[in-house]
Amino acid sequence: MEGIFAIWIRDMTRFFRDRARLIGSFSMPILFLLIFGGGMGGTMESLIGSSMPDAGEDFQYLQFVFPGIVSMTLLMTSIFSSLSIIEDKNFGYMKEILVSPISRVSIAVGKVLSASTIATFQGIMLFLLIPFLGINYSLTSLLLVIPFMFLLACALSSFGLLIASFLRSTQGFQLIVQILVMPMIFLSGALFPINNMPGWMDVVVKLNPVTYGVDVMKKIMIDVESLSPMIRDAMGLNLQLFGTTLTVAMEIAFIFTFTVILILFATLSFRRANA
Amino acid sequence: MNNIIEVRELNKTYKDKTAVDSIDFDVKEGEIFGFLGPNGAGKSTTINMICTMLAPTSGSITINGFDGNKDRRDVRKSIGIIFQENTLDEKLTAKENLMLHCRFYNVPRSKRKERIQEVLMIVDLVDEKENRVETFSGGMKRRLEIARGLLHYPKVLFLDEPTVGLDPQTRAHIWEYILRLKEKEGITMFLTTHYLDEAEISDRIAIMDHGKIIAMDSPENLKNTLGGDIIELSTQDNEKAMLEIQAKAPEAEVTSKEDIIYLKVASSDAFISEFIKNLEVPLTRLNIRKPTLNDVFLSFTGRNIASTEPDKQ
Ligand SMILES: Nc1ncnc2c1ncn2[C@@H]1O[C@H](COP(=O)(O)OP(=O)(O)OP(=O)(O)O)[C@@H](O)[C@H]1O
Ligand SMILES: [Mg+2]
Repeated sequence: MEGIFAIWIRDMTRFFRDRARLIGSFSMPILFLLIFGGGMGGTMESLIGSSMPDAGEDFQYLQFVFPGIVSMTLLMTSIFSSLSIIEDKNFGYMKEILVSPISRVSIAVGKVLSASTIATFQGIMLFLLIPFLGINYSLTSLLLVIPFMFLLACALSSFGLLIASFLRSTQGFQLIVQILVMPMIFLSGALFPINNMPGWMDVVVKLNPVTYGVDVMKKIMIDVESLSPMIRDAMGLNLQLFGTTLTVAMEIAFIFTFTVILILFATLSFRRANA
Repeated sequence: MNNIIEVRELNKTYKDKTAVDSIDFDVKEGEIFGFLGPNGAGKSTTINMICTMLAPTSGSITINGFDGNKDRRDVRKSIGIIFQENTLDEKLTAKENLMLHCRFYNVPRSKRKERIQEVLMIVDLVDEKENRVETFSGGMKRRLEIARGLLHYPKVLFLDEPTVGLDPQTRAHIWEYILRLKEKEGITMFLTTHYLDEAEISDRIAIMDHGKIIAMDSPENLKNTLGGDIIELSTQDNEKAMLEIQAKAPEAEVTSKEDIIYLKVASSDAFISEFIKNLEVPLTRLNIRKPTLNDVFLSFTGRNIASTEPDKQ
């Protein structure tokens, strides 16, 4: 336990000390918020508005895309934070950790927890922008979504750690971002509705775990029940798998299982690489 | 005295290269054991294997009664190591680095403050404890690493080139701390160096070259095995002088490097009064000294340690 805490507290101290990283990590989500809030939001709204004259009145696209942007932040931060383990290897500190008696499992778990904490913190920071974006969510829904954000972050950090245990240097890093992280965001429904996709893409969307994370985030934050069925449909909030509409409980159960399996794999893989 | 480390037929082979070639040795509890050898001799590879950081290709290692292969966790608890490269977290302060180490090694919570203060005192860094390591000089970082290695009261402290890259004054200081430690705590120390003068502080030295231990004994004994004295001389015509020496004094061992002739003789007094005086080629330089560890290395390998060592500063 002490070992897990040590790994965690070190990463926390480093994170809050590194102003550049702290500020830099907000640039991407804010950029996306600008694009979707300003530019693309208008287009989307008028598109939907014109197809549904009666329902489109008070429809706000940003309201839908915001939970997606929070998920995107979680994904990026989780994966980048757990990849910092490679940096530790390069700068030698990993040796200090590995030569100590703490178990390899503690190291892996500590890393996953610190990466998840950092990611969740970044996500919560985005909440501070809500009043300035002219959107609103109920306080309860925001409080409810935080534990789920942490769960999702744990899954994604474990995934990052799993990748990291196969990488030797930060050189493979850019590649990973391009071939994995970006598609995971774009094919998850985080930034635009994933309705009417071509068949093969639909398969990828359904296989992408981020899809379910994003869906849960949206369903917790947006008051789905009070929306007209047409908007619900247009915004892709009727996620179906094998013909059944998924409930939040099912999706959370799925993400939870997925998280446990990923942590297990990440830990084993880390232990194998660093006996 | 008990053996705290026992190494048997230890081998490490990288793809096409044997870094450590079937070495055997013991380290006794409480002694300073030194590994001396040129770059690439296999010193770090050996230390990393003993510290569980590198899996041996074959052979066995026992530390503090634990099997280096099976009881890694117990081995790790028993040792402290200062790696050849810096392993501090430079973004953290000295105190934070030490506190993390206490957590990694489960130092009892109530003792942490006291221990941190204690080790900082040993290396004279008490006033710097709140500063970030990235603001430290090379020597200060090294001292902090030594302090960190001591925090959990290890049975053996490994020091892999503790003074590499430091200026002579700082080097002298580091050794002062190390000796102070040995006197105060009686810790067993295992160090590597390729500086000859530094190896002298060891109780016993293993001289390593190309992955093999070529000699192992106390520095005194190693030098005594060479016997006699070393005479270094230069003349106006070294070739002629060497021929003359070989003809007239066959008992002297003659070698030459650059423009110096080295003679190893049983007693320099007798040799100088009887022979050098009568040398026909005029002398330009004469120096008489006791053998050094470099002479020991030279006599085993035919090379100088110094000449194989690039300037690290
Ligand atoms: N990871 C590795 N892969 C291949 N060869 C290696 C590796 N690590 C070390 N070697 C080789 O093993 C030999 C021994 O290296 P080692 O680092 O143990 O030497 P050393 O005695 O510590 O030298 P130095 O004084 O430079 O620290 C060297 O020839 C080195 O090139
Ligand atoms: Mg070395």
